[in-house]
Amino acid sequence: MFLTIRRTFREAIQNFIRNGWLSIATVSILILSLYVLSVFFVVTSAANDIMKDVQGKVNISIYFKPDVSEQTITEIKADLENSSEVKSVEYISKEQALADFKRNNASEPIILQSLDEIGGNPLLASLVVKASDSTRYQAISDRISQASFIGEISRINYGKNKEIIDRLNGIVATIKKIGTTLGVLFVAISLLITFNAVRITIYTHKQEIEIMRLVGASNLFIRLPFIFEGFIYGVVGTVFSMLLLFLSVKFVSPYVSSAVPSSNLVAFYLGNFGALLGGQLILGTLLGVIGSLIAMRKYLKV
Amino acid sequence: MLLLNKNTNEEQDKIMIKFDSVSKIYKGDFPALEDINLEIHEGEFVSVVGQSGSGKSTLLKLIYAEEMATSGEVYFNSNLLNNLSRRKLPYHRRNIGMIFQDFKLLPRKTVFENVAYALEVAGVPDEEIQENVQQILDIVSMGGKMKKYPHQLSGGEQQKVAIARALVHAPMVIIADEPTGNLDPVTSLEIVQLLMRINELGTTVVLASHDKDIVDRVNKRVLVLDNGKIVVDCAKGKYKAS
Repeated sequence: MFLTIRRTFREAIQNFIRNGWLSIATVSILILSLYVLSVFFVVTSAANDIMKDVQGKVNISIYFKPDVSEQTITEIKADLENSSEVKSVEYISKEQALADFKRNNASEPIILQSLDEIGGNPLLASLVVKASDSTRYQAISDRISQASFIGEISRINYGKNKEIIDRLNGIVATIKKIGTTLGVLFVAISLLITFNAVRITIYTHKQEIEIMRLVGASNLFIRLPFIFEGFIYGVVGTVFSMLLLFLSVKFVSPYVSSAVPSSNLVAFYLGNFGALLGGQLILGTLLGVIGSLIAMRKYLKV
Repeated sequence: MLLLNKNTNEEQDKIMIKFDSVSKIYKGDFPALEDINLEIHEGEFVSVVGQSGSGKSTLLKLIYAEEMATSGEVYFNSNLLNNLSRRKLPYHRRNIGMIFQDFKLLPRKTVFENVAYALEVAGVPDEEIQENVQQILDIVSMGGKMKKYPHQLSGGEQQKVAIARALVHAPMVIIADEPTGNLDPVTSLEIVQLLMRINELGTTVVLASHDKDIVDRVNKRVLVLDNGKIVVDCAKGKYKAS
């Protein structure tokens, strides 16, 4: 059995090489498909990472009326922290708010001057609430609006943030949708391409197959080379796709890093090298073999 | 060491191929063979002659199971071929060496690889293949052209390679369907002499041909087919075109 496998695999390699342009064309489409799929994987993962990063900066700010005591605020803080949806609640006192404001506007003397002229501390104490899941902000906001301590609240600053959050969710959802659609499309194309390549191989070698049958080759001996051929398409396609992906990532990474400082595509690629390679290898060889099997079922009357 | 089939006198009585009231009717009620009764013994050389369309090729196809009989039984080495499964077909074929008018060599393999293929499909180890293929190619005088491809050979040379391939796995029967059809008279003679030598060493040979000279030269048993029926079956005949 092992002898048969060795001989038929060698035959498949020979066929792959001797097929010349047909092999190149088939592998090219396979490379393209795997590349597109892996690009979308990388983009989606990177987008998710960016999302998480930005989410960390998004929050609901609850501003309290000037006369509300620190004790009351502390109680409300504890109450909010009890909720599972809330990741953290930070208390910013009036004094802290003033200090932060002065620091943030240190380069704007006019603003600082205005502050001095108003006198006192016009800023309000606040609680900054962060959710564990960015989609839950609306729910948290609604709950706060209906809470018992609503009377103590001057305003809830969520509206502006809401827009950003919704936009982000929308973008990631769209990326995922496009990725999935294109992914499915390219998988179908790859299947068709491999199927076609093997079909052509079978057709051009119809006479040879006939001769092999006459000489006493078993069904397996005739079929295995074609299956292995599909497998080889997958492996070669994966190797070049990974290479192409690496080059793309390396090229694009500096531009992305300048836009989103926290991201590092090259590190992402290297960190997930195993998963990217493994995933593509499995998908590539599966596409190759399945395409081959379908072609054989239709055209190889052995 | 390569062994061709050797038989003793006792074994000469062994029936290798038997047709028992065999008919083959193709679609559209076209009878290619009608009520064929035939026995071919081990070690015989049988020439099957007849005009085009007389059923020669069909007769041969029934022996190597490319076609199945519509009625009657076909036996090969006492095994009934009528309901041979697709799975068992390759094993049956490995008992036969086939030679055709168009040589049927694998175009993308060298001379050596073509002959070796017959052994590879049977799972013969590489070292044995190396030895046997070399030997058989020397026997047919093609030892010096092992690395050539079929398109680089003449018709006669290609046929010799085909014969080598047909012999290398020491089959019980050689079936030759118009082996000299594409060859000049001199080369044809060479081929037939090769077949006769093979037969002398003990292999059963069934030759289909409409070449009068070839059949006369062989001067062994002749079966004459006409419109799908055996009209003449003589032990040591000359070609008679009806």
